[in-house]
Amino acid sequence: MLGQIGTGEMVSGGPVEAHPGRPVELSLLGYGTVIYLLGGVLFALAGQTGAGQSLPGAVGLAGAFVLTHFWLTLTHHRGDQLMLPLIGVLSALGEVELYRLSPALAIRQFWWICLGLVVLIVLTRWGKNYRNLSEYRYLFMAVVIILLVMTIVFGVTIGGARNWLSLGSFRFQPSEGVKILLVLFLTGFLDENRELLATGTRRFFGFQLPEPRYLGPLLLTWGITLLLLVFQRDLGTALIFFATFLVMVYIATSRGTYVGWGLALFLAGSATAYFLFPHVQERFAVWLNPWGMQAGGGYQVVQSLFAIGSGGLVGTGIGLGQPFLIPAVATDFIYAAVVEEMGLAGGIGVLLVYLLLIYRGYRTALAANSPAGMILAAGITSLLAIQTFVIVAGVTRLLPLTGITLPFISYGGSSMVANFALIGLLLNVSQDTARRSTGDAGEGAPS
Amino acid sequence: MTGPIRKVALLVIAAFIVAAVHLTYISLTQGEKLSGHPLNRRQAGIEQTIVRGGIFDRRGEQLAETMWQGSRRQRLYPQGRASAHIVGYDSTQYGKSGLEAAYNGELLGLTGTAKLENLAARLLGRHPEGINLQLTVDSRLQELAADMLKGRRGAVVAIEPRTGKVLVMASSPAFDPGQIDRQFAEVSRDPASPLLNRTLQGLYLPGSTMKVVTGAVALSQSAATRQGTILCPGYLDIEGRRLGDIKTHGQVDFDRAMAVSCNTYFGRLGLALGAKTFSRGAAGFGFNSGLAFDLPVRNSVFPDAGTLNANGLAEAAIGQGGVAATPLQMALVTAAIANDGVMMKPFLVQTLAEANGRVLRQTRPEVLTRSVDRDTARRVMQAMVGAVVNGTGRPAAIPGVNVAGKTGSAENPHGEPHAWFVGVAPAEQPRVAVAVVVENAGHGGAVAAPIAREIMIQVLNER
Repeated sequence: MLGQIGTGEMVSGGPVEAHPGRPVELSLLGYGTVIYLLGGVLFALAGQTGAGQSLPGAVGLAGAFVLTHFWLTLTHHRGDQLMLPLIGVLSALGEVELYRLSPALAIRQFWWICLGLVVLIVLTRWGKNYRNLSEYRYLFMAVVIILLVMTIVFGVTIGGARNWLSLGSFRFQPSEGVKILLVLFLTGFLDENRELLATGTRRFFGFQLPEPRYLGPLLLTWGITLLLLVFQRDLGTALIFFATFLVMVYIATSRGTYVGWGLALFLAGSATAYFLFPHVQERFAVWLNPWGMQAGGGYQVVQSLFAIGSGGLVGTGIGLGQPFLIPAVATDFIYAAVVEEMGLAGGIGVLLVYLLLIYRGYRTALAANSPAGMILAAGITSLLAIQTFVIVAGVTRLLPLTGITLPFISYGGSSMVANFALIGLLLNVSQDTARRSTGDAGEGAPS
Repeated sequence: MTGPIRKVALLVIAAFIVAAVHLTYISLTQGEKLSGHPLNRRQAGIEQTIVRGGIFDRRGEQLAETMWQGSRRQRLYPQGRASAHIVGYDSTQYGKSGLEAAYNGELLGLTGTAKLENLAARLLGRHPEGINLQLTVDSRLQELAADMLKGRRGAVVAIEPRTGKVLVMASSPAFDPGQIDRQFAEVSRDPASPLLNRTLQGLYLPGSTMKVVTGAVALSQSAATRQGTILCPGYLDIEGRRLGDIKTHGQVDFDRAMAVSCNTYFGRLGLALGAKTFSRGAAGFGFNSGLAFDLPVRNSVFPDAGTLNANGLAEAAIGQGGVAATPLQMALVTAAIANDGVMMKPFLVQTLAEANGRVLRQTRPEVLTRSVDRDTARRVMQAMVGAVVNGTGRPAAIPGVNVAGKTGSAENPHGEPHAWFVGVAPAEQPRVAVAVVVENAGHGGAVAAPIAREIMIQVLNER
């Protein structure tokens, strides 16, 4: 069903000529710029100081994306042409809201976006060979473990979670790097061992289980998420990692038993964490009844709900809401600020943009012509989807709140760069497919 | 592998749809509650930037205005206590009351077209201005009523019978709305309840003023005509219980009974009417039904017909037992009698106007209900004139003016009876109907009637 929607042919299949360029991408990049400029105009109309700076911001952001576009065209990149415009729209929306909150923060975010685009360019040019990922899989795992151990030992606690590493004045969140490495490691590992994992050789309580040496790395990944939970108190990241892990194993093996076991382990881990750690208990209690503890643990969620409720259908207008009443508004809670000032319409609009991006991601996975490509694309897309859903559900109290960033919109250097890197990897899978299927009329994906 | 990818993709799409539906649910069904939630500081923040509309009396006298002290706005109440209960207070700490609460959205300019204009004002960097209220009350009459109630607990309501305009609405003791932040703790604990608007929230036994209702219902049902003239022995025996009268009135007909306030006569009328008819008649005067007014009003009570035995019926007929009425209710009853039996819908807010003077809404007189037929109303008026000319209502008499009235005293367990008076002037072309209650002041004629008299004189002198 997902693979057969017609418009994709023009976009990612591309015409038959050798170097067709990327006209769709260029024309769509205008949307992000328009959003940014409109945001600036509204902001200026609201009589806010600092609104003037959003004009160079919009021009700069458009320039950065268009330059990236030209680079991709020059290098004859054949990857999906919708992804860059889609993350452009999200980045522009984020920048509009950040300018409104703090122009200084928006300027810093602009440089993070530029760095992210540079990383994306580097990956699309020199990181194309994801098929050989399995050769480096244990290197990835080693780096993951080193990063996590360093965070546990030298980590700095910010906002209740000990998930920052500090190098002088430069701070970053290792978990954002771990995010990419974990996806790469799992791609490599699952690509190599998926058949063994899929069939299984031993029976265990009626389940087919593979040899322990094949299962070991999976248990290790599970252990890493627990480590995050226990030592870093970073519930959100642990949740995202674990869900992505389960999805990738399921996609690689087609076996629901892994999901069943994974969920059982997750529930067991969650229950243990609930009884061992008071902060987990508090999160849960706040979720059930934030109003009863609105002066304490429920404060954040209650303020977020106030913002969402005050936005109404079309929002107060940019610069006319009072998002400063929301805690951590530039990072974890930026979605609440977006809904306050752009309303229910804006909130759903943002979700639709994410859905489009996710849709393109899964199409890339479905169309990929190698198992590694399919696993990698589906893994990256799922990771972004899960992260977006978890934080949106958290600030709207659909799920218990866990402090993570909203991809491409929240302020945050590590997060921005990591997400652009993920899109770079996704573009590579997509281009690989396009290259190999040149001459085919359709997508060439097995369905 | 495409199978699992499709399943995962569909699951993700489903999750996003759930998130979107949940967001819609919060925004649409709980949005208003969340945005107006007392802990949501947005509202207070918005209010600080808006020039809250002013409240004016019928002659344009300021009752509430917003002044700027530096960058902070301050709400001033030039008339102080006299109109405190209708205007109310506006405090960031203690909330709002009275019209300040009931018309909060209008005063802030957050309703209707004003909302859009204020958005434009904000975009142009000006302070948005709220809507002004012009009331039907007269601040001089308010002052007079407050003066006469000073030191007592009680209430005065005066209504223009033809239109339903509220001319006076005063409750005592009062509070100073401008000092509410400093005095709230004190006034909210005061046993005399200065914050209570007795005109709308005070439920009193109406005592003999209820005889206006009983008499009107009985006349309209011909029960009074059938009863004719009776001999009052000074009491009424009902099923073994004796209902006392003030004294032995001897031979009394309808007019005489109204003038001397004969309990025996009206008790017998109540019995003759029967629970059902009487109860229906009282409902016609607004008992037991909600009243849409500019401020919240407590329902006046007439006992349920099913629970009324003969004793209860006779007690209800003289305003004792299970009957309870607000001062506004008794003013409305009197106004209906004065307006040929038609009860007009009472109102306090005459116009809503923008700061530039453009009128947004003008309240027009509206019929609330027909309480009794015209002939009955005129007969009752005539009897009430008699009560002032040579009956219990004599202290309300004004030289050269035909005043109609009825006194009342409501027995109560807290000491002296509450004194009531309801009156109309001039009887031939009524311009004002007034209801006065003074708590624990003895019989109505002595204390309540003179207050009503002063109000009526002042109203008649106005034009």
